[in-house]
Amino acid sequence: MTDKHLPLVIRTGAIVAFLIVWELAVRWEWIDSLFLAGPIEAMREIVPVTLAAIPDIAATLTEFAAAFASGVAAAILIGFAINQSPYAYKVFTPLFALGVSIPKVTLLPLFLLWFGIGKPPIIVFGALSGFFPMILNVMAAASEVKPNQLLLAKAMGFGKVQIFRKVTLPSMLPVLSSGFYYACNASMMGVFIVELALARHGLGVVVHGYAVTFKTADLYAAVIVTASITVIINMALWYMARYFGRWRA
Amino acid sequence: MTMRRPRPAIARLIFVGGILVLWEVFARLSHVSPILLAPPSKVFAQIFDIALLRGEVPDFYANALTTIGEVVAAYAITAALGMLVGIAFASSKVIGDAFEPVLLVLYAIPKIILYPVIILILGIGVLPNIVFGVLLGIFVVVFNTTAGLRQVEPNYIALARSVGYGRLAIFIKVVLPAAAPTILAGLRLGFGYTVIGVVTGELLVVNTGLGSLIDWAAVNYHTPELYALILITLCIGVAGNSLFSLLERRWVR
Repeated sequence: MTDKHLPLVIRTGAIVAFLIVWELAVRWEWIDSLFLAGPIEAMREIVPVTLAAIPDIAATLTEFAAAFASGVAAAILIGFAINQSPYAYKVFTPLFALGVSIPKVTLLPLFLLWFGIGKPPIIVFGALSGFFPMILNVMAAASEVKPNQLLLAKAMGFGKVQIFRKVTLPSMLPVLSSGFYYACNASMMGVFIVELALARHGLGVVVHGYAVTFKTADLYAAVIVTASITVIINMALWYMARYFGRWRA
Repeated sequence: MTMRRPRPAIARLIFVGGILVLWEVFARLSHVSPILLAPPSKVFAQIFDIALLRGEVPDFYANALTTIGEVVAAYAITAALGMLVGIAFASSKVIGDAFEPVLLVLYAIPKIILYPVIILILGIGVLPNIVFGVLLGIFVVVFNTTAGLRQVEPNYIALARSVGYGRLAIFIKVVLPAAAPTILAGLRLGFGYTVIGVVTGELLVVNTGLGSLIDWAAVNYHTPELYALILITLCIGVAGNSLFSLLERRWVR
């Protein structure tokens, strides 16, 4: 029994130790409290900061939802179209892989020129950030479909729709759903980058505002609130990906 | 097949070339303001001007070197620390079980919201950009190193042990080569994310590097310069990616 709980004990111990060192670092002024607020002080600010930030949380979540949905929808449409031809698959895969790994953030000044300040650049940049990881997963998911199973289904007299529902989709779902997870992560990142850089409302702006005015405790509270919201959304998708992938193991 | 198709790589070049031609035609024939859109011919000419220091771009090489230096420093930490943590996770089940969930939760935070905190603690300069690059890049390296090491066929290790290899010899001669494809894939992705982190830092708090030049071009409406600088910066990611493809082809069979 102790063996089973050992990792949990170590993890909890490490986190508690980290919090204590953090608190002491501020208490004993190892680090100027202008730059670092203690965890207790930050926790105390969480409720007022959250209440004050509710309109911004709503703004960020709606922008994120629009960005994520449009990026993923575009990736699924284009991905499925490309999947129809193995040749197109070979032509486009390296381009999309490049799309993931190049710093798209350099395009931000262009987005400002094209779309101005406000919601459009946030949604477009968030969508673009989510698009590339999603389409790579859509295309990778297609190779999970076993040709033999398609043949078998056809031999058994399944129609096209039936084959898609009973064979193609279940085979693709594990990779597809981990694509949702990566796309969600990337899309959130995109939304926050634009918010931090040039938006007027949203959680990124709240965080930025506390940082530049040296409201350190509020800043840490706002970061904790933002992190919690994003972790909840991301972990929900992560467990969804695990759930759809469980039959493979 | 009715017609012989060109090789995928050539088709890809034709596709990219086609987009460039459309972009050129659109930029020249449409009435979009030249502040918004520069034709690719002008952008490529501008890249040469920048490289030969003929344009208006100030201190191009000093800024480019700053960015490259930041990327190199950040990536050295990303790769070394990431692989070390990955090895620790894979070699001890207790450590792995204890800290992997923590890392998974940290990974789920969009690191960008930590950037204001990093700036507050470290001040403005190259250091926050390097730290932010590491923060973005390290997770893939850790996850892939752990996964790659765990995938190694236990039979290989048993065989090596029966032949009389020591622990270190087994690790270097058996485990590492068997895990190399997954680890290299992580290192490649980690490089891309590290570059993204460094450049994001440069653009958010404009101070040094190519990011500051991009901002300079945007603020002053030097549109062809802006496009050219963006392309140059993107090339760092592309160059790193190609280098890793080369390594993978050489080492991974």
